[in-house]
Amino acid sequence: MDQNRKAAIKLTIARILAYLFVAFFVILCLFFFYLLLISASKTNFQLQGKFSILPGSNLLVNLKNALNDTMINIPVGMMNSFIVAATSAVLTTYFSALTAYATHVYDFKFKKLVTTFIIAVMMIPPQVSAAGFVQLAYKYGLTNKLWVLIIPSVAAPSIYFYMKQYLEATLPIEMVEASRIDGSSEFGTFNRIVLPIMKPALAVQMIFSFVASWNNFFMPGLLLTKPEKRTVPIMISALRSADFAKFDLGKMYMFIFLAILPVVVVYLLLSKLIIKGVTSGSVKG
Amino acid sequence: MAQLTLRNIKKIYPLRDDQKKDKKKDYKKPDDPTVEKANLEVTARGVVAVQDFSIDIKDKEFIVLVGPSGCGKSTTLRMIAGLEEITEGELYIGDRLVNSVEPKDRDIAMVFQSYALYPHMSVRDNIAYSLKLKHLPKEEINAKVLEAARILDIEQYLDRKPKNLSGGQRQRVAIGRAIVRDPQVLLMDEPLSNLDAKLRNQMRAEIIKLRQKINTTFIYVTHDQVEAMTLGDRIVVMKDGYIQQIGTPQEVYSHPANLFVSGFIGTPAMNYFEAKLVIDENGDYKVVTPEYETVLSEGKQRRLKALGVKEQDVTLGVRPDHIELSDQGVSGRVEVSELMGSSYHLHINCAGKDVIAIVPTEGREIDYVGQNITMKFPGYGCHIFSKEDTHNLEY
Amino acid sequence: MKEKKRSISYAKWGYIFIIPFFVVYAIFTLYPQLLTFYNSFFENYREGLTQIGPNFVGFANYVKLLTPTSEGTIDILKYFGNTMIMWIIGAIPQFVVALLLALLFTSTRLKLKGQGFAKTTIYMPNLIMASAFSMLFFSLFSTVGPINQILQGLGWLDKPFDFISFKISARSLVALMNFLMWFGNTTIVLMAGIMGIDESLFESARIDGASSTHVFFDITLPLLRPILVYTMITSLIGGLQMFDVPQVLSKGIGMPNRTTFTVIMLLNNYLGGSKNYGMAGAISVILFIITGILSIFVFKAMNRKEA
Repeated sequence: MDQNRKAAIKLTIARILAYLFVAFFVILCLFFFYLLLISASKTNFQLQGKFSILPGSNLLVNLKNALNDTMINIPVGMMNSFIVAATSAVLTTYFSALTAYATHVYDFKFKKLVTTFIIAVMMIPPQVSAAGFVQLAYKYGLTNKLWVLIIPSVAAPSIYFYMKQYLEATLPIEMVEASRIDGSSEFGTFNRIVLPIMKPALAVQMIFSFVASWNNFFMPGLLLTKPEKRTVPIMISALRSADFAKFDLGKMYMFIFLAILPVVVVYLLLSKLIIKGVTSGSVKG
Repeated sequence: MAQLTLRNIKKIYPLRDDQKKDKKKDYKKPDDPTVEKANLEVTARGVVAVQDFSIDIKDKEFIVLVGPSGCGKSTTLRMIAGLEEITEGELYIGDRLVNSVEPKDRDIAMVFQSYALYPHMSVRDNIAYSLKLKHLPKEEINAKVLEAARILDIEQYLDRKPKNLSGGQRQRVAIGRAIVRDPQVLLMDEPLSNLDAKLRNQMRAEIIKLRQKINTTFIYVTHDQVEAMTLGDRIVVMKDGYIQQIGTPQEVYSHPANLFVSGFIGTPAMNYFEAKLVIDENGDYKVVTPEYETVLSEGKQRRLKALGVKEQDVTLGVRPDHIELSDQGVSGRVEVSELMGSSYHLHINCAGKDVIAIVPTEGREIDYVGQNITMKFPGYGCHIFSKEDTHNLEY
Repeated sequence: MKEKKRSISYAKWGYIFIIPFFVVYAIFTLYPQLLTFYNSFFENYREGLTQIGPNFVGFANYVKLLTPTSEGTIDILKYFGNTMIMWIIGAIPQFVVALLLALLFTSTRLKLKGQGFAKTTIYMPNLIMASAFSMLFFSLFSTVGPINQILQGLGWLDKPFDFISFKISARSLVALMNFLMWFGNTTIVLMAGIMGIDESLFESARIDGASSTHVFFDITLPLLRPILVYTMITSLIGGLQMFDVPQVLSKGIGMPNRTTFTVIMLLNNYLGGSKNYGMAGAISVILFIITGILSIFVFKAMNRKEA
């Protein structure tokens, strides 16, 4: 048999195997989300009974029940989560960019030290400061205050690092000097020239920090004790303690669905940008 | 009035810690890591990038700073702009000492080598930016932007972003951004070096025209001596942080102050020979090489006599266009002949040394290659430089 | 001359612009960190309504942490072991699958279509709220959940299997979630790494007569190694911080029999109820030291990447 045909057949087989391999993992990921979606649309009775791969009829009823639950006030939780996540995202990107800009553009005596310090502390797990943080929060009566969760995001070493890399790749110093000569103040140059140039990096980091903050469980779990101050992850984990013999499972799936919905929506809208962000962050970082 | 006075301006970059250990290591300018290694002086305070720079620049004058990489020309310009601190000396714009005045208050504008256009703004906004920062009324800004765009012929691109422009168009926008402010002094840092050869010639002409349209003082930095010769009212030739010569293009070309200037200005470069300066029986100065001798021209005689220059070994410099073919004189063999249109550039091997001579074609086609020829150097074309410190013995 | 000596140096702006970052860092991170370390040398907790301490106890908290209990196990080591076992069960498939997927996606020979969709899908779990994901798995894998129903329906099980009450299955569930949440991320990172390799290296290897296997082992893997090492160690550091998933899945008690209990869950326990800042501090210091050592390897890998 001639070699060309042999090679062509080999390639086709390889391709089929490759597609099967990829498809398996794609389906695996989708499978659990699909189960969540159909479960959230079933009645408690349907969920307890024989399993059906088809969606149920109870989606809107479950939604209404979930939103009106008296024990777990998910709308309030989502609001709290949104306040924390959105403001943290804005603060963390703005100030990380500002700090990165300072160490990129200006020559000052302790610049090297500052940069080295931030990169050195980048890897310290946030849990290491938790004990002291909780202690201080209780000492000064700062529990159940959302701003206590927001303000620390001003100092985010890893986002600083990303911004620094981005500036090194995209901002020539001449641009800053041109703006100086055009009569801009230093702060004005940052806001009017540098921030617009950094837009892609800001967007990516804003999304990532929004998501991280939205999903954060550990610190909020230790600091937010009042029901009306709780964020979504705390409410979701509280579901685990529910008595499942009595609990409406359809409603429970709906809670989970609502908890992840905002992030999924953001992701589906901006997946290209997000995946590019993962790539650029990791290759450089 | 926008005359500029620079008095003993000095720039010293403090050494970084890692350089302190080994001062002899070649130092690279921190703002430009790609520069060739320049032979800058290192003192206890650091690397001296610019040494005692003094010049009086007249109002509306076009000054070109020229020199090889690392000679301090850009640093000088940046000190005038206020982007670099002046370590020592005084800088006056008009009558005002501006050493510690911020760039925005110096009434200057600058065109950068990389253009430094703001990528997120349209051409219009790029040009208008400085005016907006001054909070000028909208109509005035619009009028000024349009005027600048008209001068530079970029009216049709006003709403484009810089990334959608060609190199030449970007260059015009960068100039537009500078002239829209009506600056007292317009600084240009190698503005043409990012353009290809053809466009560069074109833009050079444009800058000459621009100068006729806008009446201001220009300070222009380049490493290209052709730009320096064609654009400048006066040229400042620099090397290793030192001013080598200040003069009109004609002066610098015809009366180079030293060996370096003579070689740097003019293409093809000057040819050099080992020679002796002797005084003949009439008391006239002669240059003597083993094969040839010539009496210097009258002007040169006068200057040498005035200085009382003694007989000595010298370096004789002759520009390629001053070499004449003749039946006797310095002999050599033509190795390469380049037809440049109206003239031939001959590369002549004279006892192992490559000598370039420019010979007019005079409408004839001559195959010089392989021929043995002899050349003479007329007295007015002989430049004589001291063997000791390379300075031109006439001055 | 009486000219006021004002400088046009811009250095001061560098200091001004880093102030917010450093002030916030000092107050909200550095000070709490130092306080944590300081606390680790004190007895300081609440028992019911009585506050014990703070009394200086030297290294007593560390000693207590490393002393065997009545059952003869050293708790912190056990929990550290749990954490690592669950990390490894998830990380091995995570890296193998991610490497394979990355190779398939970047293969110029296969030219797979639909990559955008595939990448989008496999990355999605990375962004999902871990606690919600864990709650979902708990429900799906519960004795009355759809997984048991499906397995019974297929006839593979005759009675419901309680996944979270057996050591192996409970740990595997945690690992499965970690795998699902991270293999897409790793795939994308490794893809970027492979695409960063100069294409002409592959071409010249092929012309030199190397087979696909040879190209992989001789070119791709060695050049990918720094990124691979970097990703693995950061994954390990992340693994050490494992909390949300086992916390929710095991209702915070690490069932069965504390075999899914992690180091951070222990920290959370000390901080949550008894406000035992002494013990929490000691755990944090240990976590800090381990992470510090691992980070050195990360920076080494990072530097090699740049070289």
